[in-house]
Amino acid sequence: MKPVFPYQTFIGIVELEVVAVTVDGIELPYSKISKLDQAVALHQIGRDEWEIASLRLRATLPDQEIAAGPWTDLVCLAVLAEKATNARHTARLKRADDGRWQGAIDLVRSRHLNRAELSLTVVGTVSGVAGRAVGTTERDWYVDLNRDVPVRQQEIPIVQTDFREGDPDWLRSFKESLWVVETTGDTPVVYLNTTAVEGLLDVVDGTGGTAAEKVVREMTASQIAQDAWTAMFHTAISDLDTDEDDTPVMPAGWREQVLRMMLPDVLPERQLTDALFNINERRTKGYGWPELQTRIQYAAGKRSQVTKKLTNAMRSLDRAEEGRKP
Amino acid sequence: MSRNTPAIPSGLGLLSDAAVTKYLSRGMQAGQEKPPRGALAKMSVALPETEERWHVEPVRRLLDEAMNRFDGDPPLADRWLAPRLHATLRMTRAEAADSRRWNFLSMIVAPDYVVWRHRRREIAQVARFVGPHYTQAFSRLWWAAELFRSGEDYRPVEVACRIQDVLNTTMRLDVIDHRPTAAAIIQLLQRLEDSGVSGLGDRANTLSSAVNAAGSTLVYDVLAPDEPADEDALADWITAGALAPAVPWDRLPDGPDDGAVSQHAVDALLPLFERLLAEAPLRQRQRAVEEDE
Repeated sequence: MKPVFPYQTFIGIVELEVVAVTVDGIELPYSKISKLDQAVALHQIGRDEWEIASLRLRATLPDQEIAAGPWTDLVCLAVLAEKATNARHTARLKRADDGRWQGAIDLVRSRHLNRAELSLTVVGTVSGVAGRAVGTTERDWYVDLNRDVPVRQQEIPIVQTDFREGDPDWLRSFKESLWVVETTGDTPVVYLNTTAVEGLLDVVDGTGGTAAEKVVREMTASQIAQDAWTAMFHTAISDLDTDEDDTPVMPAGWREQVLRMMLPDVLPERQLTDALFNINERRTKGYGWPELQTRIQYAAGKRSQVTKKLTNAMRSLDRAEEGRKP
Repeated sequence: MSRNTPAIPSGLGLLSDAAVTKYLSRGMQAGQEKPPRGALAKMSVALPETEERWHVEPVRRLLDEAMNRFDGDPPLADRWLAPRLHATLRMTRAEAADSRRWNFLSMIVAPDYVVWRHRRREIAQVARFVGPHYTQAFSRLWWAAELFRSGEDYRPVEVACRIQDVLNTTMRLDVIDHRPTAAAIIQLLQRLEDSGVSGLGDRANTLSSAVNAAGSTLVYDVLAPDEPADEDALADWITAGALAPAVPWDRLPDGPDDGAVSQHAVDALLPLFERLLAEAPLRQRQRAVEEDE
């Protein structure tokens, strides 16, 4: 939620860029930093036991406003935080000769679990009050400790295991299902049963193959995706924290992402905070819940692109059938 | 109730949230049933037994002593237990952020403590067995110690735990991840307590929400810069735990000597927080007093 500022703030854009990352002094390959996604991937960097990642930062501030505005004592503060570990670490950037702001911030591995968020806040004295936030990055950077590829969107890990005999063994009671979605942890996980339908996973894992195989693959994948989205949505709204006015608070981590993506489809034409409030009210006061299910199903279907995938698959099946006719 | 409940395992493990949901029964929440330790143990992942800090016995002994000492008034146990649990279970924040470790304690090692401490009317809430860091029976204590200690000094932790609203309200806020902010809140409350002000819990709530609200436009990190913690000192303290004697019961243990909160930084915030508290309307307690009073 954007706070309302009782004083003047930047209109121009504050931009932050991670220029380079060193891990225990060794430079991280550039492919692990994505400017487009504003993400850094620190996993599998060739060493398992590292201690400190140092991120070199560069920021661009709206120069004209800096010069003309009512602020003094400007500080350009990078903030690295992770909710799960209550970690918060800051560093000041300095203005370089080219007018950009530069600096570095350290990520200490033992203080982080999954994903740290990196933002930039410009702080100054406004109308005699020190420490006012006057500008901030619109979009935070993500620094991911468990990820090989720097992507913004978190993919759902899919674990293939034998539900009958594999790990974790609570899956045993689901031995006849092809997949289950677990949403209790820090990240949702889809468990795919290797023994439920013989031969199916070869098809699902494969690329190419016959048109029929492709249909099966797309159907299975989109069904799994739809299940996962539905489960994630329900988990994300199941236990919303509220602030002292009983306004539900946007949850952290993947729950936030799921809600931001699905709420516009579940309760269209409502602002995010309104939608959250509405859903929480329905849940706690027990009305309008059944009709919500239809919307959730619709939103999950849209996210998992069921219609699109199946249309494509059906067309290729049609073409294959055509080709077989004399 | 099973007749042959397996003994408590000697080492800590990791138990998924899903396992708690599956096996936590109303009977366990009421303290009338024993946990299905065999089934739970199968679902958990053991931590390396070679690491002494994962041995269960010191924690179990601590909890027994807490239940013994504070049997008439369980909430009083928090201030005694929080620093001692923190100094016994020596670990990094990354390790402590893994809820599975706390699930193992609440479900396998000491469900009796959870019920003893948190039973209201008939049962202890599910969130005391598995839940966010500020609610779960054990993680709330560990994190209170971690977030309110000043380097090796656990005294501010005692103040925080004495005022239950600090644990229930203040500890949820992101602003207290900035150590001087947390320290200033505690010192201001301590000052109010010393001057004999009544309704300290209400004041803690009012102060916390005022500080939090002001924090959306005021950047405390700039007003009161914090020093980064000495990570090597923390690592040494964790390693030293293997040879350290059990925590003392009648005086405070020493925490990791990884850098105290700068009093200079706290002093920069105190007048501001005092003003915020004075200007905020002292809310009447709205919610019924049902939790932890």
